[in-house]
Amino acid sequence: MFSRWNWVACGFYLVLIICSPDASSGLVQSCGHIIPESPVLALGSNFTALCILNESCLDFGNIYASQIIWKIKNRVVPKEQYREINRTVSSVTFNDTSLLATPLTCNILADGQIEQNIYGITVAVGLAPEKPKNLSCIVHQISKFTYDMTCTWNPGRHTFLDTEFKLKYRWPEQVFPDCIPKGVNDSCTISDTQFFVNTEIWVEAENALGKAESDRLVVDPVDIVKPLSPQNVSVSSGILPTVLKLSWENWISDTVMKLKFNIRYRITGDTSWMEVPSEDTASPRTSFSVQGLRPYTEYAFSIRCMKEDGVGYWSNWSETKTGITTEDQPSKGPPIWRIINVGHSPASWIVHLMWKALKPFEANGVILQYEVTVRDKSSPSSPLKKYNVTSTNHTLQLPEGTYEVTLVARNSVGASPPSVLLIPASNSKAPVKNLTTLPKHDKLWVGWTAPNSYVLKYVIEWCLVSSSSDCIIEWQIALGDVQGIDLKGIKPFKCYLITVYPLYADGQGSGQSVKAYLKQDRPSKGPTVQTKKVGKAEAVLTWNHLTVEEQNGFIRNYTILYKTIDGNETVVTVDPSKTEYTLSSLTSDTLYTVRMMASTDNGSRTGPDFTFTTQKFGKGEIEAIVVPVCLAFLLIVLLGVLFCFNKRDLIKKHIWPIVPDPSKSNIAQWSPQVPAKHNFNAKDQMYPEGSFTDVSVVEIEADDKKSFSEQDLKPFDLLKKEKSTSEGHSSGIGGSSCMSSPRQSVSDSDEGETTQNTSSTVQYSTVVLNGYRDQTPVQIFSRSESTQPLLDSEERSEDHAGGADSTAQRQQYFRQNGGQDENNTDRPCFERAKQITHGNEGDLVGFVQLQVSGQSSQPLGLGMEKNTQEAALSNVLQTCTEGQTVRPETVEKNPLSVDDMPKSYLPQTVRQGGYMPQ
Amino acid sequence: MAAPDSPSTALRRRDLCSRGIRLAGKMRADVVDLLDTYVEQQGLDASASVAAVEGVPLAAVERWDEQTGTQRLLENLAAYRAFRALLAQMLEEQREQLGEADAGLGRALAAVLLQVSAFAYHLEELLRLESRGVPSEEEDGPPPLPRLSLFEQKLRGLGVLRELAQWAVRSARDLRQLAKPSPATGTGPGLAESP
Repeated sequence: MFSRWNWVACGFYLVLIICSPDASSGLVQSCGHIIPESPVLALGSNFTALCILNESCLDFGNIYASQIIWKIKNRVVPKEQYREINRTVSSVTFNDTSLLATPLTCNILADGQIEQNIYGITVAVGLAPEKPKNLSCIVHQISKFTYDMTCTWNPGRHTFLDTEFKLKYRWPEQVFPDCIPKGVNDSCTISDTQFFVNTEIWVEAENALGKAESDRLVVDPVDIVKPLSPQNVSVSSGILPTVLKLSWENWISDTVMKLKFNIRYRITGDTSWMEVPSEDTASPRTSFSVQGLRPYTEYAFSIRCMKEDGVGYWSNWSETKTGITTEDQPSKGPPIWRIINVGHSPASWIVHLMWKALKPFEANGVILQYEVTVRDKSSPSSPLKKYNVTSTNHTLQLPEGTYEVTLVARNSVGASPPSVLLIPASNSKAPVKNLTTLPKHDKLWVGWTAPNSYVLKYVIEWCLVSSSSDCIIEWQIALGDVQGIDLKGIKPFKCYLITVYPLYADGQGSGQSVKAYLKQDRPSKGPTVQTKKVGKAEAVLTWNHLTVEEQNGFIRNYTILYKTIDGNETVVTVDPSKTEYTLSSLTSDTLYTVRMMASTDNGSRTGPDFTFTTQKFGKGEIEAIVVPVCLAFLLIVLLGVLFCFNKRDLIKKHIWPIVPDPSKSNIAQWSPQVPAKHNFNAKDQMYPEGSFTDVSVVEIEADDKKSFSEQDLKPFDLLKKEKSTSEGHSSGIGGSSCMSSPRQSVSDSDEGETTQNTSSTVQYSTVVLNGYRDQTPVQIFSRSESTQPLLDSEERSEDHAGGADSTAQRQQYFRQNGGQDENNTDRPCFERAKQITHGNEGDLVGFVQLQVSGQSSQPLGLGMEKNTQEAALSNVLQTCTEGQTVRPETVEKNPLSVDDMPKSYLPQTVRQGGYMPQ
Repeated sequence: MAAPDSPSTALRRRDLCSRGIRLAGKMRADVVDLLDTYVEQQGLDASASVAAVEGVPLAAVERWDEQTGTQRLLENLAAYRAFRALLAQMLEEQREQLGEADAGLGRALAAVLLQVSAFAYHLEELLRLESRGVPSEEEDGPPPLPRLSLFEQKLRGLGVLRELAQWAVRSARDLRQLAKPSPATGTGPGLAESP
């Protein structure tokens, strides 16, 4: 806004001036000016400017000095800095020029508050130049005849002004043109520098505020020369294998400057340089023979020069040139060692000789071949064996013994000194002691204590221990006066087996071994633990050792960490040699989590978790419970048996009722055809009143026929059910036929007619079911020829038998026995009965089932239970004889068929207390 | 007769002589190199025989070994002042003939001219140390050189350079003679020295 008004004012003033009467004197005439015009001011100094108005403008424009306004750029200078000197002159004063800026203008505030610019000046503020310091010059050789002198200096502080630096130089009576820096203010280069005249050199700095000169430097330029490095450097091998001749050309002739040199060299591939002693090259020359070099070695050379008197500067190093010394014979024999394996035949060796290729500085050339000589020391008369080998190993098959192996390396110049290896029959000498290892950065130091005897040298074998591959042996030979070497090429985290053998003049010591790591780490995995055996309060843990690749260091210990689901973790440290550990004091029937940690010196690694549950009962606990219980049970049984034995009379009275012996009955005596068969037993005595004629007694052990006694009850039950329908039929002697075997039944069937015939002689058949109370009645089948009713006494005796309990230990079955083999007749029937009645065992007591092979069968039960026994038994007998022929002796006498039996016989089912006449 | 040398004076003289000898050597080497360049550039025959050129002082002198030090210095100074003028004219003629086409020859001439001037300065300093006034150039300066044809200029230039090379050898010998310590410095004849 303000600027726009300025432009308006200026335009107005321009029109005003042009139209003024004095305009004829010039196109534009200013109404004033400022003194000084474009001043250059020192920074921080005072400055006063005057604005002088032209008289011609006073009248026309009616303007005066009091109306002057000073501005810096467009900023009005405070009026406190103004001073009206007279009506046409106004001054402004600045105490510090650093506040000034360009332009500084003088303006008039005309009538109507119109500001008009009268004049303006530019103000330069800066500093006077400082004295240049640290002037130094160097003469660079550009070519053979051209030298440029470059001088540098410190120009001092920044002046904020255009400052000119001039490098001045002169001879006493000749002034040379100044050297004006281009683009810089701190250096300048003078070409065509002339030597051998002291030249005065200085720097002059000058700007609007002043001028300054540096100190004068008087120097002969030849004393500050940095020559070009020697050129065309070449290396040539000399006659000697340890000498190389270095030649070069100098850029500077001796007439101008005598030079001295530095020669450096190194084996190609090395990083450090060696230098030829400076005094050897302190004189001018163009060649030098470097001595003391290694034969057949490539060397790199470089050279530099400077003025002979050392005044001046060294040149740059020349470009590197290489040369190779000539070959020389090998300086030493190759180190040799052996590995001995047992041969195929006893007392023979397979000797693997191996040696190391000579280092270049030892080979002194290209090794063309190795010469191996083997001498059998155990038989000096045996000839030497010589082998020429181009590789670095050789395998021999030798009988066991003591051998001396000599090895020589040969190149084009000659042979090396021989290396001798003594292979004794046995390593019986003293070994080294205190074999230790110590990691040193990337090397593994192996140290030992020497044996008491003098040792020629030591052989150090080492190999990387691996679980998957064989140990590949590396080896190294150390001199006998050392007690430790550094093994190189050792990998970290790998286990090495290191063995040291002392070699004596007359033998070899046994090897001492140690395992070592260059650097250890924590194992790469943890052990996997599992239980071998779990008890109630203990568990046997087992694990496998980590492989050597997984160990990454020496396993210092194993740590077992186990806990219950909600319990604290228990930590147990285990010796690293163990693979089994028993956890004790565990809680029974509890789930445990266990894991295992392997630790090296540098850390640990935990294996996977394993869970197991402790047992509820400990070992023997169950036995401790069961055995006493069994013993107690047996004791109770024994006591029961004893009790029963003591009370046998009483028991017998209850379970072994007195059965009358039908043979002693009056009926038997009454039957004249059948002689009385006296088959006395204890029962006979028990039933003295009764007697049976022609009755067989079968005793069945309860144990043998347990199922029998149980199965017997079922048909008995069936008999009861069929009682009503079968009542009135005679069972006859079918009961006894139930005991017959099927085979026998067939034969009986053939004899059926005979049976019918004999049956006609049987007039009475008596079946006695004896029981007592609720017990299974003892079934007694009796056939009598008597047609007379039984005696009362017999009926009374059956009262006891009819109530026999089913659990009676022994049962007696009576049948009419015609002299048949009991085994043949009884057995099939019992077995079959056992099969069929299996599901109903226990329900019934006193059961008989008969079945004839190949025919429909019905369960046939014989039982007697008061009034129902007759019908049931008759039915049973009828059924049983439908398919077979009953073959009792009496049947043979009565050859009637069973079907006919009801017509001929009407067997009586005797109720207790009486007989039913047929 | 010169007063006995103070130590600083003797040191200064030895320094000046040493520098003068090395400058003469370099000057000779440069002149020899320049001669080859000059002959080639000017199309001259290196084996061409050049008769004595007017205004060019001759290095050869009889009874050189009988000259005093001051005498040697004066003869040398006169010769090098003459060479300075001759070389300056040669440089001007060179620029006129070839312009900037052959800057190398011009730079070499200029370098030799500077060395001649530097050597003249050395001689003047040594004369001052001898407490002898240095003759003004106007007094001993050569007469204005006559204008010659172009070929004559080339031959004269060849003669100047050859003679300058000779003078460089002689000057080195003169300064070595002066540098030798003697009871009466600069007054007695120097020892004979084979060139």
